Amino acid sequence: MATIRVDATSPGNKNVENLTDIDEIQKAYDELCREENVIAEELSSVFEHQAMLENKMVGLHKTLPNLQILQNDSKQLSSMISFTSTLAENVSSKVRKLDLAKSQVSQCITRVEDILDLKFCTDGVQTALQNEDYEKAAGHVHRFRNLDESVIRMSADSSEGGTLETSFRMLYESEEKLKTIVNSKFSAAVHSGDVASVERFFKIFPLLGMHEEGLTKFGKYLSSQLSETADRNLKIALDSSGDVKRSSVLYADTIIMLLEGIARTVEVHQPLVETYYGPGKLIVLLKILQKECDRQVRKVVEKFKQSREYDKKVRLVQTSLIAQKQNSQENRLDPMEVDLLLSEIVLINNRSELYLRFMKRKAMGDLETSEQESKLMEEGKVEVEKLINESDLSRLMQELIGNYIMMEEYFMKEMVVKAVNMDVTDEGAKTSSMVDDAFFIVKKSVRRTISSSSVDGVCAMLNHAGSTLEQDFREVLYTRLRGGYPSGFDLQQAYNIMQSSFQQGKLTSSDQEKEKARTLFLTALNNSEVSCDYCKALKTSLDEEVNKLYSYCNEHSKAKLETCLNDLGSVPARFKDVVDFGFSQLTSSAVKPRIKPLVDTFLATGHNLTEEEFSNFEANDPWLQNFIANLDNMLKSFKESLTNGNNERFVNLITGEISVQLEKAVIKTAFNRLGGLQFDKELRSLVGYLTSVTTWTIRDKFARLTQMATILNLEKVSEILDYWGQNSGPLTWRLTPTEVRQILSLRVDFRSEDIKRLKL
Amino acid sequence: MEDYKYLFKVVLIGNAGVGKTCLVRRFTEGLFPPGQGATIGVDFMIKTVDVDGEKVKLQIWDTAGQERFRSITQAYYRSANALILVYDVCCQNSFDSLPQWLNEIELYAGSKVLTFLVGNKVDKMSKEIPTQIGQQFAQRYDMTFIETSAKECENVEKLFMDIARGLTKRARDLNLQPEENNEFPSGGSTPISTFSCCKI
Repeated sequence: MATIRVDATSPGNKNVENLTDIDEIQKAYDELCREENVIAEELSSVFEHQAMLENKMVGLHKTLPNLQILQNDSKQLSSMISFTSTLAENVSSKVRKLDLAKSQVSQCITRVEDILDLKFCTDGVQTALQNEDYEKAAGHVHRFRNLDESVIRMSADSSEGGTLETSFRMLYESEEKLKTIVNSKFSAAVHSGDVASVERFFKIFPLLGMHEEGLTKFGKYLSSQLSETADRNLKIALDSSGDVKRSSVLYADTIIMLLEGIARTVEVHQPLVETYYGPGKLIVLLKILQKECDRQVRKVVEKFKQSREYDKKVRLVQTSLIAQKQNSQENRLDPMEVDLLLSEIVLINNRSELYLRFMKRKAMGDLETSEQESKLMEEGKVEVEKLINESDLSRLMQELIGNYIMMEEYFMKEMVVKAVNMDVTDEGAKTSSMVDDAFFIVKKSVRRTISSSSVDGVCAMLNHAGSTLEQDFREVLYTRLRGGYPSGFDLQQAYNIMQSSFQQGKLTSSDQEKEKARTLFLTALNNSEVSCDYCKALKTSLDEEVNKLYSYCNEHSKAKLETCLNDLGSVPARFKDVVDFGFSQLTSSAVKPRIKPLVDTFLATGHNLTEEEFSNFEANDPWLQNFIANLDNMLKSFKESLTNGNNERFVNLITGEISVQLEKAVIKTAFNRLGGLQFDKELRSLVGYLTSVTTWTIRDKFARLTQMATILNLEKVSEILDYWGQNSGPLTWRLTPTEVRQILSLRVDFRSEDIKRLKL
Repeated sequence: MEDYKYLFKVVLIGNAGVGKTCLVRRFTEGLFPPGQGATIGVDFMIKTVDVDGEKVKLQIWDTAGQERFRSITQAYYRSANALILVYDVCCQNSFDSLPQWLNEIELYAGSKVLTFLVGNKVDKMSKEIPTQIGQQFAQRYDMTFIETSAKECENVEKLFMDIARGLTKRARDLNLQPEENNEFPSGGSTPISTFSCCKI
């Protein structure tokens, strides 16, 4: 700090001599004085500290001897700790040695025990073999097999080696002997059909380390038994002509018996295998049994194909399907010919799926209790999948289901064709038989497929059902509607003629044809409408049925089924299109031409009335009564032929048409005050009538007309303002200001200047 | 419901072992699972892709190539928006079967179906069917041609994206001119009967 200051002032000092100005000299002097003061202050503060520092120094001098003591103590402590550590090291090494010794002693003891066991086994085996107590003998051999031979040999000292060697030799001999005995005894037991002995020796194999061999032999034994039963059952089935009730599912029954037999065998012997062979071994047995199963099922399926003329029918259906596609009537098999066959196939597949699921569950269950290691587990799972998927049974069923789907598709389509060809409309019925029949058939076919519990089969069939309805059946309805509704002929009249013709039994051919075409058209329209509902109902009921399959489906299969079902959900919309098309046909040929002349009667009636005319009209309605009567006749006659839904729609259509045409007519008519009043009355009764014939609200359709009536009914032009704009209240105007002016101008008694002056 | 603009059904067909399942797996899961067992029946996967900022859901049906599943797989043709016909470029046999497959398409699929011809396994050295031959075949039957490798992930994304784009474009065009869609679509099948023979 001081040096800096010196440096800072030094130029000033140096230049003192150069200072000539008194002010500058004075300034330099002041500067120096201030510096002096600062330095003096610093100096005094340093002096102040001196006493304190000296005190501290004295204190330090006093503590000096203590530090020396401390150092000595520390050194001592450290040597003591290192001594203790060495000591601890020594002790622990001794403990370790002791531990080692102890483990060696205990190993020694086990070895001694092993040797004792060995001797015991050697003796035991001999006596057990002599007493034919093979379980005991096998137990001894098993014990011996678990001993660590090399260790025992190592620990044996040379003098005793001789006896050990003999023991080993003897035990090996016994093991071999036992193996031979067990093998031959097992074969003998199998040969003599001694079930108890078979099981007895089956349990001995694993003790001798012959797991695979035991399971294989046992599997073969079980297979031969299954084969015997299966042959017997097949023979009985082929011979039986008795039970007529089951004869149509004879082969399904036989296969079911066979599969149930195998499942029972697995169920019974699984605990035996698990107890004596340990977990994870069941698959060996299952593989052998599956081979037998494949062999037997193939036999039955061959017989089945032979006796049911399966191959022939498959071929026939194949050619029939092509004929069906080409719309040719030739060479088409009667679908009923395959009906029973189809039912039997689904039954066979259903049981096979059940059986395969059972086998898979057993194999997986056994696998899960055994291996923990994930890699082995994965390999095991692959093995199980392979066993199930690559079995002949699976393949046979896939072939059956493949052909089944083709035949079921043919059955369904051909039966629907039949239903269409045999279409009948019962008297008084609004729809014809083909709708009920077609949907019944489709449902029957899909339900039958569902009962096969083949997920892929069901998905395929759902697709076929969708296409049959959405294309084939829909096309039939569409074609009938495309002809259009024959016009130029009053329906009521037609109805009367039909009635009388039924009585007289004759009708001119052109009228007859026209009437036929009309009924056909309306029936088709109704059919299309109910098809929408039937489709929805079909989907709902199939949803439920398919749901039952879900319980034994994995997520993947479930998603597949759901997707295919959902596709069926889009079919109703396609029928809706047909209904729409039908109504557009009906509108152009029946609705428009009929409403037009009716509305014309309104035009023919003047609405520029005198008092007299007005009161006269009150008594003798000029047009409306006739209008309503005509309308009522028309609606009634259609109501008789239309379903409720279609009828509602028809009334709605008519109502719409009336309101449109009447509106046009009103604009062409001149009104006075009384005429407006008259029109208001007329409109009220018309709306009242129409409301009575439909459940839909029609007031909305007449909103514009009602508002027109209100305008035509005004006392004077300015009155409109009571209803317009802010004063409209709950009323929503459907007329534009221009239209309001136009309507106002229809009143002959309103001045056009007043109307022009209106601010709307 | 899920959020998507269009839903399209894509069905893969072709001989057994040409790699249909691998193509689907590669596209949907980004995997190439070696040692895949034969497909049983029909497999089903969903993947939503983005076409010009719009979500397009592809419902992919992977069919078994083996003969015994034929009638089951045929049931999927009709409602398919796109068909992918796959052959193995190293397997003359799979290429020779193509006419049979085209016959199936002719019989069962709708007339508007978008068809792609795919030569798979181009990563293999022993190519038997030259690109040119595949290209010509596709042209003759009005199919879009592409060669792929599910193993090396070559053109797989492109294949499915081309389909998604093609179908989306078609759907948009249809939306723009709905009037033209008024005629009755008769799909691939013929009407089952006329009403000439019904009784009243």
